[in-house]
Amino acid sequence: MDLLQDPFSSPNIPRQVIPERAIPLAAPGQEPSSGIPLRKFGRHEVKVSALGFGGHHLGDAENVQVAISMVQEAVDNGITFFDNCWEYHVGKSEDWMGRGLQGRRDKIFLMTKVCTHGREAMLAMQMLEQSLRRLQTDHLDLWQIHGVSFENDPDLFIRPNGAADALRRAKEQGKVRFLGFTGHKDPAIHLKMIETGFPFDAVQMPLNAFDAHFHSFAEQVLPEANRRGMAVLGMKPMSGHGDPIEQGELSAEEALRYAMSLPVTTTITGIDKPEILRQNLKIAQGFKLMTAAEMQSLRERTRRVAGDGRYELYKVSLKFDNPEARLAHNFPLDEQSAEVKEMLKATENTGHPFPDIKPPQP
Amino acid sequence: MENRKEFTRRKFVKSAAAVVTGSFVVRPGLAGRTSQGGDADGVPHRPLGKTGALVSCLGVGGYHLGSIREEKDSTELVARALDAGINFFDNCWEYHDGVSEERLGAALKGKRNKAFVMTKVCTHGRGKDVAMKQLEESLRRLQTDHVDLWQIHEVVYWNDPELIFAPNGAAEALLAAKQQGKVRFVGFTGHKNPAIHLFMLAQNFPFDTVQMPLNALDATFRSFQQQVLPEAKKRGVAVLGMKSLGGSGEIAVNGAVTPEEGLRYAMSLPVATTISGMDSMVVLEQNLKVARGFQPFGEREMVALRERVRPLAADGRYELFKTTTKYDGNVGREQHHYPPKEKLPA
Repeated sequence: MDLLQDPFSSPNIPRQVIPERAIPLAAPGQEPSSGIPLRKFGRHEVKVSALGFGGHHLGDAENVQVAISMVQEAVDNGITFFDNCWEYHVGKSEDWMGRGLQGRRDKIFLMTKVCTHGREAMLAMQMLEQSLRRLQTDHLDLWQIHGVSFENDPDLFIRPNGAADALRRAKEQGKVRFLGFTGHKDPAIHLKMIETGFPFDAVQMPLNAFDAHFHSFAEQVLPEANRRGMAVLGMKPMSGHGDPIEQGELSAEEALRYAMSLPVTTTITGIDKPEILRQNLKIAQGFKLMTAAEMQSLRERTRRVAGDGRYELYKVSLKFDNPEARLAHNFPLDEQSAEVKEMLKATENTGHPFPDIKPPQP
Repeated sequence: MENRKEFTRRKFVKSAAAVVTGSFVVRPGLAGRTSQGGDADGVPHRPLGKTGALVSCLGVGGYHLGSIREEKDSTELVARALDAGINFFDNCWEYHDGVSEERLGAALKGKRNKAFVMTKVCTHGRGKDVAMKQLEESLRRLQTDHVDLWQIHEVVYWNDPELIFAPNGAAEALLAAKQQGKVRFVGFTGHKNPAIHLFMLAQNFPFDTVQMPLNALDATFRSFQQQVLPEAKKRGVAVLGMKSLGGSGEIAVNGAVTPEEGLRYAMSLPVATTISGMDSMVVLEQNLKVARGFQPFGEREMVALRERVRPLAADGRYELFKTTTKYDGNVGREQHHYPPKEKLPA
């Protein structure tokens, strides 16, 4: 039997398990001794909190009052980075955040995302007006292309009259300060977006201790974004829904500290309950960077269960692809999912397959 | 020009059949490898890589046999396929919890020697012992003392190769089963990503076959055709095509290609056979129309078809086996701690 000793030693296939040196580290000594650290927004002089408030989970709060008071408490405790998206809970997330930010808008850095998913600039501009209205503001600090998940999304983005045109126009009109994109599927798609040459200020990606071993954004995209002076926004520090924490693979604190110890501007984390807000505030307020050795030891621990993507289902399944993305690309809508049910009920969706090509003549 | 090429190739197949009949050491009770080469109006047979066996260029998919409601209908479909010159029958230990294998076993009763029977083993990372136990179950259900081809099923998780080639892993079971004469040839299958297939091939394990999705959309999207087919050819590993219409007909249902175009495209690639799921006589007859006296597309037609469907291929919407978990079975999900189909449909 002619078996190779190390199955990863094949010259044809890139190693999935990556060496220690490949993952960049945050520069030590930049964190204050108390309060939530503030970090530079990429190449710009603006600073934002190293912990970001995720907009999706805000829509899962018990009711609007709870949501409003969580947003207020977050701002009052030093969180300045607020994430949102046009399609989260069919607008509820933006609406509730807008209410919570009344009187506090000028203290924070507000981001939302646009959900063209390959469709044209006009649609993006309509979504922008809706977002501004719901968020009760006249401008966004950061406007990002949401959910770049499909291999042809970069081509559709940069094509004439694609969403890139809308981003440029919105900035010219003073409705947005900075521009970026997000996605959770594949580092190669992120790199393709960067390679379109569009002058992005920010890029958002999943960063956690499992990612280090599997289609790794930390290994492939993070250094490139750092090199270009793009602000890196980490997300899914607890793998999206906290599954590995429930399974006892690591603690919430370890997960969040690991993500925040990478060279990122902020780490966006979902907050749906006051106790989660307080847990995360506590971690962020006393934040100490993990040492290289601590990070490596956590990676050793996650390696065994990272190699098949079981804790990163956003990379391997449609689970985290929002209904707008699926509609725009003509992917199946899973009608069991709460989000899809909600969307189908609440909206008359404009989604149609792109591109619109005629079936072959018989 | 192209037709002449195919004609020449068919003649070659015929003469190869004659050679094989004469030279291959035949174990008593083993047949199927010496089926007649294609008549002008029959289903052509092609060499299965370097194995010396000949298989029909159209294969009957085992999963759909188990989808047919009545057993008498699946039996009839198998009989009709054999009569039409199809000898390649696909199956798998986990299809319909064994019903697919039982159906094929029943349908081949008294006709086993006319068929080339393949089934697959579903360790999904587990070891040799599990594999050998599954083989015994497969043989019992298929009512035979050997399978012609035994393949590792659904190599779709990125750490599967590591687990398959671990000490006491499934790869060792393939060799043991071959030594014991319970299987003639061995291979693996998967539908997820060409990189995983290349990784498997790079281990230099003596695989006789490799199965992969091959269709007109695959040509321009995470392409097995571009990346794996040439590597398999270089290594002399026979290629079995599958999912010519996207797995559940997605490519045809949505109007990207007609069913005939889709099947003909897949069969025109340099493969030993194209496995197609057939859950009714209507589908079998439709496929036979393409397969009988098979005329491959010429290079220009192939290119034209690929270009026509390129925009629809670019996001993987009709190759959901590559882009979603829809086609990943529950047995594998359980081993890899993925949610079951009911909780994670795609």
